[in-house]
Amino acid sequence: MGYLPLANILHHKLRSALSALGIGIGICMLVTLSGLSRGSLSEVADRWESVDADLIVMPRGWGENASDKSGSALPDRYAAKILANHGDIVRSVVPVFTWPIKLAGQDQMAIGVDASSWGALSGGRGLAAGRLSDPDGRFAAWLTAKLLAFPADHGEILELAEADLSDPSHNGLELVIDTRLAKAGGYKLGQTVRAANHDWRIVGIVSSGVMARVFMPRRTAQFLFGNGDVTKSTLMFVKLAAGADVGPAARAIGATTGQDVVPLSRYRGMLVEKFGIMFTYVDAVNVTALIIAFLFIMVTLYTMVLQRTREIAILKSSGASDFFLLRQVLAESMLLTAAGMAVGVAMSFLAAWLIETLRPLLTVTITWYWIAVSAVVALVGAVAAALYPAWRATRVDVVEALTLE
Amino acid sequence: MADGGDILVARNLEKSFGSGDARVHVLRGLDLTVQRGEFLAVMGPSGCGKSTLLHVLGLVTPPDAGTIHLDGRPVPRRGGELDRMRRAHIGLVFQRFNLISVLSAADNVEISLRVRGMGHRADGRVEQLFEQMGVSHVMRRKPGAMSIGEQQRVAVVRAIAHNPDIVLADEPTGNLDSANAARLLELLTDLNRRQHQTTVMITHDAEAAGYADRIVHMKDGRLL
Repeated sequence: MGYLPLANILHHKLRSALSALGIGIGICMLVTLSGLSRGSLSEVADRWESVDADLIVMPRGWGENASDKSGSALPDRYAAKILANHGDIVRSVVPVFTWPIKLAGQDQMAIGVDASSWGALSGGRGLAAGRLSDPDGRFAAWLTAKLLAFPADHGEILELAEADLSDPSHNGLELVIDTRLAKAGGYKLGQTVRAANHDWRIVGIVSSGVMARVFMPRRTAQFLFGNGDVTKSTLMFVKLAAGADVGPAARAIGATTGQDVVPLSRYRGMLVEKFGIMFTYVDAVNVTALIIAFLFIMVTLYTMVLQRTREIAILKSSGASDFFLLRQVLAESMLLTAAGMAVGVAMSFLAAWLIETLRPLLTVTITWYWIAVSAVVALVGAVAAALYPAWRATRVDVVEALTLE
Repeated sequence: MADGGDILVARNLEKSFGSGDARVHVLRGLDLTVQRGEFLAVMGPSGCGKSTLLHVLGLVTPPDAGTIHLDGRPVPRRGGELDRMRRAHIGLVFQRFNLISVLSAADNVEISLRVRGMGHRADGRVEQLFEQMGVSHVMRRKPGAMSIGEQQRVAVVRAIAHNPDIVLADEPTGNLDSANAARLLELLTDLNRRQHQTTVMITHDAEAAGYADRIVHMKDGRLL
């Protein structure tokens, strides 16, 4: 049986295709931009949550800004102090030094970590290839000896030549990177890369999903990016003993150190708070795109009603009720929107694939939740866009329309 | 051929358009009775109000004054009952066919049935009507792929598919060549003779009117 709304859509192929495309672009923007913004943040949060720890110790007051802080911040002695005062509830403390460096054309938060702490930081993951940087602490020992020999009371910083830092016998300029960064930058094991004014050798590759994409010896990070002060780190991860309560433990360690101590699970919320304004912006862009898409539909349907007054008059002369006419226009709008939805979802998956292929460090997470949200928004929009044209259809004057033939 | 009883009785119909000095009185106290099974032709010059009369009798537009009784029941001016009576009792044929261009011939008929709450007729009546009108070969074609004669015969199928009490045809041969016009008029006559289909045909063509059982003449909004 010929279904009039479908017949009209198929008859006006180009106009229908453009309408569906307009809606599809709106849906695609909603799903893809949400997937990109929330997916990238979620991917960072997932990586941090992969650390085998329960608490993060950070300088007081960093709050939701902790996600983009780096450099010297916490004295390393806190690690020993926490273990000494809370040995009954703390199993391990892992200090890390964070610092942004540019690799594969993009800032990466590099993590300075001791090889001995790698197991905790990587959540027990081994390397996919190569070895850890400064695996037996030779660089750390060499640097410590250098610093001890350097008179520290002049307020000067020990200066070391690049050749000293990268001496094969105690090479401190070594990196471990994850597979996504390796893919994005085309990096290979053993390759030397330039970053932060130094030449680094890639000695290990770890599967993506670990806390960061770049790791280096903590001593190297402290010396190069902490003004030569190798006594401070950026953050500390605390692993609690089995059965210890996170809340009381965080308060106790906070009291001991005088710093902020937050559960690791809080990090995701801190990221969302930090980038909340970005979501607002993205959502505003999405809403604008959708409104434009539905104005487009409304104009299309309105034009359709104006062009088809005789067709409507024929239906009315046969006794079609206002409800019947309203249903025809609504159905046409719904069909266009459904086609637009299908186009939009397909475009979203294509866009996600393109983005992740062209920029492998970005994560686009297309979720059924956002597809469902866009479906609801689209259907509500379809009804709203059809209401006025549908009302105009019910107001067509049959005699006028038929006598003006 | 009339077979007794009045199917449509119109009394003192008034209809005008415009307002003030521009007001045009199109129907001026018109009386008309149509008997069940009758084939009636309404003739008159252009502008005498023939089409307006058809629209009023077809319940497409209400008269300003006067009454219409259809199958013995008074026709209300507006509302759901008016729509129901139009759906149940009336079939319209237009001069320019007015088929929906995006639908096939069969779908044009089917949507007309669907509007009337009848949906798809599985009893074969529609196919039979297409056969009877000699247009079964165009059932799957859209109007643009039919000749004008075929389009008008499909329009007749659409008008009678729901078994209306009365078919109102507004200059049905006005756009047809003489051969197609003759064929259509023979079909309308045949419908009237064999199936006792009450038909009111508006025309200014005396030859076309000659096919009717009775001819009434209209002038200045009244029957002569």
